[in-house]
Parts: sequence; C-alpha cells; structure tokens
Amino acid sequence: MNNLHGIIFAYRATPDLRELTTLRTISSLPYGGRYRIIDFALSNMVNAGVTDIGVIMHENYQSLLDHLGSGKDWDLSRKHGGLRILPPFTYAHKQRQRGFRGKMEAMDGVLTYLQSIRQEYVVLSDADIAVNIDLRGALNDHIASGADITAICTSHPIGDPRQCTYFTVDSTGLVNEVIESPATPMGYESLDIYILSKERLLSLVEHCATHNLYSFSTDVLIGMREHLKIHPYLHDGYTARLQTVNSYFTCSMDLLKPEVRSALFSPSRPIRTKDRSDPSTYYAPGSKSVNSLVADGCIIEGEVENSILFRGVHVAKGAVVKNCILMQSAVIGEGAETRYVIADKNVEVHTHRTLMGYASYPLVIAKNSVV
Amino acid sequence: MKKECVAMLLAGGQGSRLYALTSHVAKPAVPFGGKYRIIDFPLSNCVNSGIDTVGVLTQYRPLELNSYLGNGQPWDLDRSDGGVHILPPYMREGEQGTWYKGTANAIYQNIGFIELYDPDYVVILSGDHIYKMDYAAMLAHHKKEEAACTISVLEVTLEEATRFGIMNVDENDTVYEFEEKPAHPKSNLASMGIYVFTWSKLREYLIADEANPDSSNDFGKNIIPSMLANGEKLSAYRFSGYWKDVGTIASLWDANMDMLYPGGEKGIDLYDTEWPIYARTPIRPPHVTGPEAEISHSLVTGGCEVNGVVENSVLFHSVTVERGAVVRYSILMPGTVVKAGAVVEYSIVAENAYIGPNARVGAPPDGTEGWGIAVVAGNVEVAENGLVAPNAMCTEPVRGGDQ
Repeated sequence: MNNLHGIIFAYRATPDLRELTTLRTISSLPYGGRYRIIDFALSNMVNAGVTDIGVIMHENYQSLLDHLGSGKDWDLSRKHGGLRILPPFTYAHKQRQRGFRGKMEAMDGVLTYLQSIRQEYVVLSDADIAVNIDLRGALNDHIASGADITAICTSHPIGDPRQCTYFTVDSTGLVNEVIESPATPMGYESLDIYILSKERLLSLVEHCATHNLYSFSTDVLIGMREHLKIHPYLHDGYTARLQTVNSYFTCSMDLLKPEVRSALFSPSRPIRTKDRSDPSTYYAPGSKSVNSLVADGCIIEGEVENSILFRGVHVAKGAVVKNCILMQSAVIGEGAETRYVIADKNVEVHTHRTLMGYASYPLVIAKNSVV
Repeated sequence: MKKECVAMLLAGGQGSRLYALTSHVAKPAVPFGGKYRIIDFPLSNCVNSGIDTVGVLTQYRPLELNSYLGNGQPWDLDRSDGGVHILPPYMREGEQGTWYKGTANAIYQNIGFIELYDPDYVVILSGDHIYKMDYAAMLAHHKKEEAACTISVLEVTLEEATRFGIMNVDENDTVYEFEEKPAHPKSNLASMGIYVFTWSKLREYLIADEANPDSSNDFGKNIIPSMLANGEKLSAYRFSGYWKDVGTIASLWDANMDMLYPGGEKGIDLYDTEWPIYARTPIRPPHVTGPEAEISHSLVTGGCEVNGVVENSVLFHSVTVERGAVVRYSILMPGTVVKAGAVVEYSIVAENAYIGPNARVGAPPDGTEGWGIAVVAGNVEVAENGLVAPNAMCTEPVRGGDQ
C-alpha cells in the first residue's frame, strides 16, 4: 500500500511575490484563510497513503520549520519514517553557499537520504501550487503505463508561461516534446509534480551529478527525453498557481466560489495544516460579513466584504474591509478602511487610516508592519 | 516516576438531565462553546496549571469520549511519563465486575493507578463544569493551610445556596460544617465539586468508606462528612471567576450564551492566549459568509456556510444556514443544516440534525409556564414546514406540519 515516497522542494524564491516572500519561501506562503502552500503538497501525499516525506529547503526556512514542527498535524510524526527535514547543509562536503541551481543538484545534496528510501516509487513535488489531487490514482496510472516518468499536468494553462514547463504528446499519448518557458503556453502545462521509481531517480541523480547537470526540467526532461518514456497524467480540477502578487490575489478570491472550495477542500481528501487551537470567530452586534472566507479565532466588529480573513484577525468597530486578504493576527483599527489590500501576518492598521490598492495592483503590506 | 500531583476527572456521569443530548455520549463529551466539549475545560485547566497526569474515569457511553481524548495530544497530554489515561471500571480476579458505585468508589477502584505515580496530592475534578481555574494556586493554598482536603467554593446568593452543597467556615475559611442543599443556609459558599486531597489521607478514607456497606461511596455525602467528623482540617478555597454547572438544558444554553463575549465580560475569555482552552478540532476549511449573510453577536466555526440571518447564536463546525433561514438565540452543533426559510429560535440543535425548508423550531419566551428551550437530537430530521414547539425534546423525525 505505502509504496510511494514524497519529496517536496521547498526552497524556491519567487521574486514576483514581492514582500510576501521576503521573509519566507513560497512554500510557507499563507493561502486560503488558514493554510500554507506546502499544506497542499503534504496533504495530497498523506491522503494518498504516503508515510515518509522529505522536505528539501535552502534559505528563508525559519517560517517553514515553525509551520512543520514534528509533522504531527499531518500524521507525519513517526518512529519509522514520517517527516524528514532536509536543510541545505545536510552534508558538509557538499555545502553550497548559493541556492541550488536545480532539483537534481538539490537531490544530489541529500543522496544518502534518497538511497535510504524504503518505497519503490517517489513523487517529486514543488510547493508552489494549491491543488487537491488524487496521487494514488496518479501512481496507479504510472505503474499501468509502464512509463519512466509520469508528469502531472493540466490541459488548461494557468501559469505565467515564462515560468512553466509544457508538454506536447504524440498519438500514443506519450510526451514527444518538452518546452520550457515559452512566450505563449503550448500543450499541457506541468504542475511540477512527477512520479518515478526510486531506482530511476537514483540513476538520474547520479547521471546529473557526474555530468555537472542540475536541472530536472532542462537536463532530465528536455535533455534526456529521447531516452525516457514520459507519460502525462492530466489533472484538470482547480489549481491555484501563485507566481505573482496578482495571481496570488485572484487565486485567493477564487476561493469565494463554491465550486473552487469544493475542488480544493474535498472532505474525502482534507487539507491538513498546523493546529492553533483558536476559538470560534465572534461577530459583534452591528458587524457585517458577506461573501467572505473567515478562519477561526477572528473578532469582527466592523464590515467585511469579498475578503479572506486568516486566523486571529481583528476588524474593529467601524472598520471597512473590502476585497482584502488579511493574514494571521492582522488588526484593522477602528474606522480604518482597506480595499484591495494584502496584509501579511501581524500587520496593524491604525484607527481611521485608509489603504487602497486596486484589483490590478493589490497593495501588499509586509509582515509585522504598523500603518 | 513520582508526580507531586495527579488529577482524577470524574467523567462517568450519564447527564440524564440533558436527555436527548446525552443519549449517545457521556456528558463531558457534549459539544460546548463553538469549538469545545465540556471536558476541554477541566483538561485545559490541568495542563495550564502544570498537571501532566490525568486519569479520566469513564463508564457511561464512553466510546465518543475515548476517541475524543485519544492519546491526549490536543491538550499536550501525550507524555512519555504521565499524560491522560482513560480509566473504565474493570474486573479483578475472584470478584464480579461492578460499575463505579459512586464518585468515591470510582477513585477507590483506581488506587492502583494513582499509586503508580506516588503523588503527594490528588485533585478531584468533574467533567460537567465550565470555568478557568489555576489548580496550582489551589494546591498552594492547600499546602499553606496544611489541610487534609481543600474544597474550592464559590460565593452564591443565599437564595441560590439552597441548591448547592454549602460549606460553613470559620474566620480562617476552615470548614466546620457541610450542608447539602440546606433550606436555611448559614453561609453562601457553594462547593464547586473540585477537591484537593493529601493523598495519604484520602487513601485512608477511601478504604474505610469502601468497608462500610451502608455508604453510598460519594465524596459529598460520605467522604467529606466523615473527614469532618474525624476532625481533619478541611479548608475552603475561594474562587471568584466564572463557573457554571451545565447539567441541564437551560444551564447548558445559558453558558453557551455567556461565551458570546470575547473579552469574557460575561463568561470566559476564550481568546485569552495566557490560558488557552484546547480542543481536538476536526480538519475543516474556514467558514464562508454568503452574499445574504447577516451575522450578529454570534460565534461561527470552521466549515460553516452561512447565508441567512444568525443572531445571538453559537454555530459549531460545518453548520449550514441557507439563504432566508433565521437562527436566533440558538446553539447549532456540528453538521446541522438549516434550510431556506426555516426559523430556529431558543433551541439547541444537536449534531447533524436537519431542519427542513420553512420549518419552525422553538420560539421566544412568552412568559408562560410551559416555555423552554427546544431541543432537536442528533441526526433528527425536521421535514419541510415541520414544527418543533418550545420546550420540546425531539428525538424522532418530525413530519411536515406536526409535533
């Protein structure tokens, strides 16, 4: 049953997310009122019966470590296996001061870990999308297809093509071309989730290490395509790809649509996250909350509309919050007004301040700022 | 390993005055305050007071309580030494198994468990009170007074005193007399059912009490009076915060309503990070307010979908209130669905109940004798246009337009 091992690449920096990722990597970016992006990758794996998951990180990982803890919120705090944190200096002789140039280099850095994997198959996943995917189905499909690598992708391009990988397929359904960063989307867009056997993975890592190759997409998918049978596995359910502030904003607002919520938060495949033991959210007399997603532990005395509120947010009396994303413990003071604002954790907007962004340029307020 | 203090939580009560709400679960497992169950309060108090070894004595309908407590992880009571232990009655060789005969007998039957930790003191708690209390401060009082037993007491009005066990004390708060529900109370210090005992003393009295065939093996009726009779020092520990027994439908409803003040003006400050109340929470996304939602003076929890009117109410997780539905002064437990046009007022609706379109459940107080909180039991379906009268206790499906 548990013949799948998970590896999550949680080191990616995404400059287009501006202030949202100055203190964290995208993997620990808050999303959806109470989650971090990595929760989706972790939960998808756990929901597919994966018990052993390695998380590769490089810098800015304090917030990620704090979030993951021992892994108990994902049932990954185990005697045997469970969550394995893989920081960059796992092996001193392979120290790299500057970030990993690619996934193959990152995996070479933890080679002995890879060798110790108990499972026959490995799923490699980035932690930059919010998606609820049946990885068990994908694994079965991978085994049935006899492919070397199964690439999980979507037929509806969603990302910024300059930051994505695309596949075109031949008449037998196998990938015949891999395209990286084109000007316009073509074929299937990769979700950067791949399944392959441990054996194949080890041989690819070794090949890359000995040939000074480091990128999974450039050096393996493109460079070795002729020698590899790459099979696409389509997932056309809702996927949030958070590459820019604007896509972060629109993908967050997508959660106000019932169909998006039911695609991401299916009760049969729940998305797990760190438990904070918050009380329920309190709505005071005279408050208003419409068309919004509100996490536990908030106190709402003002007006909230078309917004996403994370845990422990306080909207004081007379405050107006419209089209905003307010992260954990943000405080909007009495009579303040915010529109199209993304307020990071612990942001405090003082009484009667007015902050306005615009739909095409939401205003980002950095973590811990006081306005 | 030796522990200075072990807590024993009496959670075996049937809670028969909660009727339909406890037909499937023990009283301590009854949902409370939007996110909690009653037992979360004494358990969180233990952890926040630095007590890491808690025996939970169960016997009535323990299944849900057992699975709720699990390994104690939500309360940080998953310890390699100590932690939370579920203690059901059990059989010993050569004897027929018996249920716990009374509160004192429940502890007597678990002397073996307590001795595993060789404690100096034992705290006895019950699983049907809502309050925040630092048991460490009470223990410090117990030690300072060098008492055999310290009983925590609450000042009540003399009128209320007739419904409680009353401690009559001298000027040092040493108890000289205990009166159960006195008609003419001499003091207003009501026992809260929370005791700290010096273990060696309690052990002695438990064994003596067990040997007495006429005893009903109860702390209030037997152990405390016999300690008093023997001249042991019993000290009253005055508690002044919020404390509520939630043993009846009316008091359970009241106490839930008291939680609607986030600063704790009326009840408990659930948002206080210095003294958090922990709970095992299911995995649910944040709640959603729809375009027609009107929510006021209410608690709403993860997984809820609210598109109707919700006032002065407590919504547990995964409750749906459809457009045009009205919920006032009510408690909706996890998974309740209130369909469009339904009106739920002054009611407690238990887990996964279904209130059909345009149904009416409960009504505002009308001053008549027969008025009371309406209760819809778990998984009960009230059909379209169904009617549940005030004070009704609904355990069977309600057809459209009757009851």
